[in-house]
Amino acid sequence: MRIRFYLHVGLWCALFVAFAWASAPIVGRAVMENRFGPVEVNRSIDAYVRALTGIEHGSEKLPDTFRHLSKTGPLIIFVRNENAQSEFLGMMVGYVSWPREVQLIKVATPTVEKELVDINPNSVAGLVFCSVNPPSWLGKRVQLGSSIVLVPIVEPAP
Amino acid sequence: MILLGLFGGIFTIFAAGFGVALSIFAQRGRVNLVECTCLAWLFGSGIVSLLLWLCGTFCSGLTLQAVVTMACLALAILGWRVKLLSRARFIVPVPASSIEWLLSSIVVAEAAILLFVSFKHTLGWDGLLNWEIKARYAFVNNGVIPASYYSSSGRAFTHPEYPLGIPFTELWLYLWMGEPHQFWVKVIFPLFYAVGAALLALLTARLSGQPWAGLLVASFLPLVPSVSASPGGIVVGYVDVPLSVFYLAALGYLFCWFRDSDLRSIVPFAACAALLPWIKSEGVILWLVLVLLGLVFSLFKHRTLQLLISSVPGLVIILGWRLYLRFLHIWPHSDFSHPSLSLLRHNLSRVPDIVSILFTELIEPVHWSFFWLLAAVALIYLFASRNLEKVFLATAVLLPIVLYSLTYLFSTWPSYTAHMTSSVPRLLLHVMPAGWVAIGLALSSPGTQTEKVESKLG
Repeated sequence: MRIRFYLHVGLWCALFVAFAWASAPIVGRAVMENRFGPVEVNRSIDAYVRALTGIEHGSEKLPDTFRHLSKTGPLIIFVRNENAQSEFLGMMVGYVSWPREVQLIKVATPTVEKELVDINPNSVAGLVFCSVNPPSWLGKRVQLGSSIVLVPIVEPAP
Repeated sequence: MILLGLFGGIFTIFAAGFGVALSIFAQRGRVNLVECTCLAWLFGSGIVSLLLWLCGTFCSGLTLQAVVTMACLALAILGWRVKLLSRARFIVPVPASSIEWLLSSIVVAEAAILLFVSFKHTLGWDGLLNWEIKARYAFVNNGVIPASYYSSSGRAFTHPEYPLGIPFTELWLYLWMGEPHQFWVKVIFPLFYAVGAALLALLTARLSGQPWAGLLVASFLPLVPSVSASPGGIVVGYVDVPLSVFYLAALGYLFCWFRDSDLRSIVPFAACAALLPWIKSEGVILWLVLVLLGLVFSLFKHRTLQLLISSVPGLVIILGWRLYLRFLHIWPHSDFSHPSLSLLRHNLSRVPDIVSILFTELIEPVHWSFFWLLAAVALIYLFASRNLEKVFLATAVLLPIVLYSLTYLFSTWPSYTAHMTSSVPRLLLHVMPAGWVAIGLALSSPGTQTEKVESKLG
């Protein structure tokens, strides 16, 4: 009975020590990395947009830019398929452009010639390219930051 | 002002939950203050989010905030009245030995550290784009998610069909702070952690009869890398840790009810289980597991009616949310096809891959360290004990994992293996605290508890 007790204690001690030994470096790193703050309203959005595009205060600047677009029509956002950064940036653009309707289009190639053919320019407010190269023939481009380009669609005169 | 608002929001959540918890426990004559505070947060977040959702259908803005605040305060007053009428008194569990004091201090220190650490990180991908986004859109629309959000096909990536438990808890803090402050809103996740750690200690101590076992497992809880580091940990604002805390609480009180047949144990079980599907869609599976276990328990106890009544709130929430989505013409998205026998037969060849991915994940040291090894040894102990209660606890850890894994038989992703690899680490988090309870029970002396429960059954 006593041997069973010692075996029980020994087994659990070994398991807990092994667990703590393996966990400590991983958890320790997570605890130590980054620093507190900054205490900002749009802390998460700004941090991601800055990291992905270099744009400071993206949560304010991007919606401000989109506000100058035509009042009607969705924003078409092109992202690279199977590219997590591009997709995430596209989703962030979709997030901050609320309440404007958005459409996320995943493209398999670095250019979007084929996908653009299907878009009626009269029905959209603008095109956003996230880590995707806009075709050279496309009109006015606004480089919003690294890896993000806006092509506003000018509203036809009444 | 922002911090004042934040405290106001947190206070009202606690007030509502405390009122409900007090009215449950006051009739015992003694109210465990730690237990009551823990349940106050769980109940409070559920009450506030449900009230925001329901009241948001007929009012908005300041009126909505005022209505929900008054309801919270009314619940607090009601609870206090019940306490006064029952002449109940608060008790604070005090550690009995220096070891327990040391372990308690470690648990408190870890909660404080995680509170600090969570403010060093941003919200993660899902935390931001699946959950917080709903709180923000509702905030800018006077506290109500606009109908256009649900119909926006371009924002389907934010999963409008996901339940609103956590987003509306975040919304509540936004309403009180007066702005959608992504920094301070993260406070709710370490609060869920702290509540989870305290409940783990309390419930394990109660079930094992050894306070040190509860405190020991609670002190090791944050050393599971998935809790404090990604994926799905509390620092990135995912809902998986909160869901796991609700599961832990529901499971713990179900077992307490099995032991003491006390109505005051089945009510917290009913409340926590009901909130599972309100936190995350997978909560439906966890709720089903608990109801199934509860049904078996109730057959032993000849108290099936109590169990059936306690499962009604969960059923109401599940059906209510489904109806609401149907009313908004939202169909739960199609990561999974409708299960059928023919599809099951067709996809049975996936089983070896699914088992292989699951096993690979369980032994992934960056996510779990050796946690699942400890859990596996504990489950062997529990099964070997041949004690009904312990076998059921082991089942409560294993069954959700099996069911979660089986769902990938019906995955509609082009690559079901990619689907599983991307989501299974977070799903395993849901049963992780329950796994710690199993470890706590295996750690403590097996003989005495077995005899006690078996004599009750006999």
